[in-house]
Amino acid sequence: MNTTEKVMERTPILSVEGVSKAFPGVQALTSVDFCVMDGEIHGLVGKNGAGKSTLMAILMGILEPNEGTIIIGDQQFHAMSPKEAIEKGIAYVPQHVAMMDSLTVAENILAGELPKTKSGFVNWKKVNSEAKERLDRLGLEMDVTKKVEGLGVAEQTMLAIAKALFGDAKLIILDEPTASLSRTDINRLFAFVKSLKDKGGSFIYISHHLEEVFEICDRVTVLRDGHIVGTADVAEIDVPKLIVMMVGEDVEDYTRESTCEDETVMVLNGLERRGYYENINLELHKGEIIGLTGLQGCGVEQLGKGLFGLEPRGIGEIILADKKFTAVRPIESFNQGLAYLPQDRYRYGLVGLRSVRENVTYPILNKLVRLMNLINGKEEKIIVNKYIGELDIKTPSQEQPARLLSGGNQQKVVFAKLASTQPSVLVLHEPTQGVDVRAKMDIFRIIDAMAAQGVAIIIISTEIRELIGVCDRILVMNDGRLTSEFKKGEKDMTPEKILAAIEGGKINE
Amino acid sequence: MKKNTSKLLDVIFENLIWLLVAAGLIIFSSLSSSFRSPNNLASLLYRSAALGLLVLGQSFTMITGNFDLSSESGLGLTAMVAALALASADNGGLGWEVSPFVAIVLMIGVGLLIGLINGLLITRLKMNNLIVTIAMQMILRGLVYIISPGSTASFFPKAFDWLGGGTLFKIPLERGFFSFPVATLFVILIFVVSHIITRYTQFGRNMYAVGSNLTAAKDAGIDTDKIVRIVYLIDGLCMALAGLLAAGRLDSATPRTGAGLTFPVQAAAVIGGISMAGGRGNMIGALGGLMLWSILDNGLSIMKVSPFWIETSRGLILLFAVWLDAVKVKKVHQRSLIDILLQSTIGLKDKTIVKN
Repeated sequence: MNTTEKVMERTPILSVEGVSKAFPGVQALTSVDFCVMDGEIHGLVGKNGAGKSTLMAILMGILEPNEGTIIIGDQQFHAMSPKEAIEKGIAYVPQHVAMMDSLTVAENILAGELPKTKSGFVNWKKVNSEAKERLDRLGLEMDVTKKVEGLGVAEQTMLAIAKALFGDAKLIILDEPTASLSRTDINRLFAFVKSLKDKGGSFIYISHHLEEVFEICDRVTVLRDGHIVGTADVAEIDVPKLIVMMVGEDVEDYTRESTCEDETVMVLNGLERRGYYENINLELHKGEIIGLTGLQGCGVEQLGKGLFGLEPRGIGEIILADKKFTAVRPIESFNQGLAYLPQDRYRYGLVGLRSVRENVTYPILNKLVRLMNLINGKEEKIIVNKYIGELDIKTPSQEQPARLLSGGNQQKVVFAKLASTQPSVLVLHEPTQGVDVRAKMDIFRIIDAMAAQGVAIIIISTEIRELIGVCDRILVMNDGRLTSEFKKGEKDMTPEKILAAIEGGKINE
Repeated sequence: MKKNTSKLLDVIFENLIWLLVAAGLIIFSSLSSSFRSPNNLASLLYRSAALGLLVLGQSFTMITGNFDLSSESGLGLTAMVAALALASADNGGLGWEVSPFVAIVLMIGVGLLIGLINGLLITRLKMNNLIVTIAMQMILRGLVYIISPGSTASFFPKAFDWLGGGTLFKIPLERGFFSFPVATLFVILIFVVSHIITRYTQFGRNMYAVGSNLTAAKDAGIDTDKIVRIVYLIDGLCMALAGLLAAGRLDSATPRTGAGLTFPVQAAAVIGGISMAGGRGNMIGALGGLMLWSILDNGLSIMKVSPFWIETSRGLILLFAVWLDAVKVKKVHQRSLIDILLQSTIGLKDKTIVKN
């Protein structure tokens, strides 16, 4: 491990040794050693599912590791309770800070210990002056009488950090604090965090924006598939090296033959929604699979939802199968041949309480109803059975409530629902999120089979390696514009190049 | 083996209401001979027919995750409108003395209008369903007082009273006759029809989807607002029919007709397994809830239990029902929480469900 003199002088504020954590069927962490020094900002990077959240959950006392120890100061723990973690001075600041929105900054700071007057009423003067004084000590200027809901995201994050420090936090975990911030806000937040570091505060900084890691961190640790790949001084490493560490080379990929035909299925012409995306031009061919990727907040997500009619689409023209695509509501999109797989199947994709059968046929019930709106049960069962067979959905019966299936099989149910509408274009948002490796392969096979039948598919995903495996083309979106295109077979289509393109926009600013 | 027992427990849990109904019938029948007389058993639902229709309307709204607290006043208003139109001036009416058919059409029109307003306020203006319907309860009750002469309007044509107060067969018994109330039959019939609608039609299935997961329902292409509006229309229709049953049984309507039914309606629906969280329960279960409510009412009063104790026992049954609902919801939440933890945040988990 490389350490500069500056860090060497310092003592570890927290270290974990040999921590492993397994969930049924998956090893989330394998003997992880990790250490944060007093007064440093320590970056933690890794792909989705690399084990960052598990490690943080252990530090926060939410999960108990199977083995290993946590050392804070001179105390050793096997596991902590959330309360202990807070007592030991570990605080977590999430991406979206949750505070008492309708109360003022001062009330949020002094919640639970509001100074009282002699007669027992709240001494508002003192509340405000005390809150102001505390913020001043941290060098944070803020109107303490303002309501928190009126603050910007950056200010809310800074307030959350300040609040954690007032609660005697020694180590603050920042989880993707810049995901929805503008560059100026990022600068202010970073200046604040750095000033706190100079006063002796320690931070763990989790981010997908690699160049930010170099901007603010002293050291950086890379996690991949539950293992620590390494810890390095940021001065001695660069972005490409970090990317190699993150991606690794040992992943087994899904590969397929292109089924792309010449016939054009869908054309997007100058699509624009202010604040989300602009000037989107795209031509989609029969049987083609396109990957759309970019940083969180770059607009791909809104584009997907906009196409399906879940969010306003903005202006621009869409031609689908030689006809103007006019759908503004999901049911119209289904009818005009476009289907969408939402990212969070628990919240959006499935009606968990209802049976597999019902979940598959919601969009096509119109075609199944007979006299008096009664559903033709026989025909429905035949259709559902067909998809259960085709997609290999493992369920005891059609009547099984969807929530009782495994993640992969739930996702297949959502696929069956979409396939039943016989779409010509399919938009998939993070289709492999939260499913295991085997189920992932199944899902790719399903995608592949649908493309072979001539369906044009758009996959919106941040899993670059997976995209490279299945896509004919990968388009990168940056701040609402499509900035780069990678074609299958070109030697440029490597994870490193694509990651660089994703990061690219930010560096240029 | 273990799996079978837990499955059996699930089945018992789901059908608990019918066990309770059976238990109630057996206990009261063995304790009181007047309870088990055929006439009494047949009229169990007769007296609570109007309540039953309100329970039905409430069940429709609750399955989609909404409430209706305005139905008792809707019953009162529709009953009063019909009474004013039907009764002669001497008997408190306006003296129009319209035909029963016109009166019923009028009632249904008023009921549908109430439902339409409720539905529009809730879906178009996105107002909170609970508060909207509480406000409607007050407004409608106020309207009843405004239009009524302040006293009872009574003596309607026989044909109008038939559904609420008529009887079907007359079978001679050792003492007197056994006659079957039309209202009992009507309530059972309409619950069965509703069960078929909710269970076997596209509309019914969409209702459950809206109640269990609104966003997923939208994503599946369901026009969720439309479903809610239709549900409130059905609810309005139920109010009107309840008004018809209530006015018909008593052959009169007062400004207080239906007042105080809101909580019994809630209670019977929840006892019948309609979940407060939406998306769960069925109409046959709701009918069971209504029956248990009526059995308890009838049985305890026949046994001359003090009305105070009747009220108390109702409360206890309701507590029990809400507790059952809470247990069910908690079970679901626990399972889904564990699932989410295992599969989503940490990723990569496939609990394959073994086929037997």
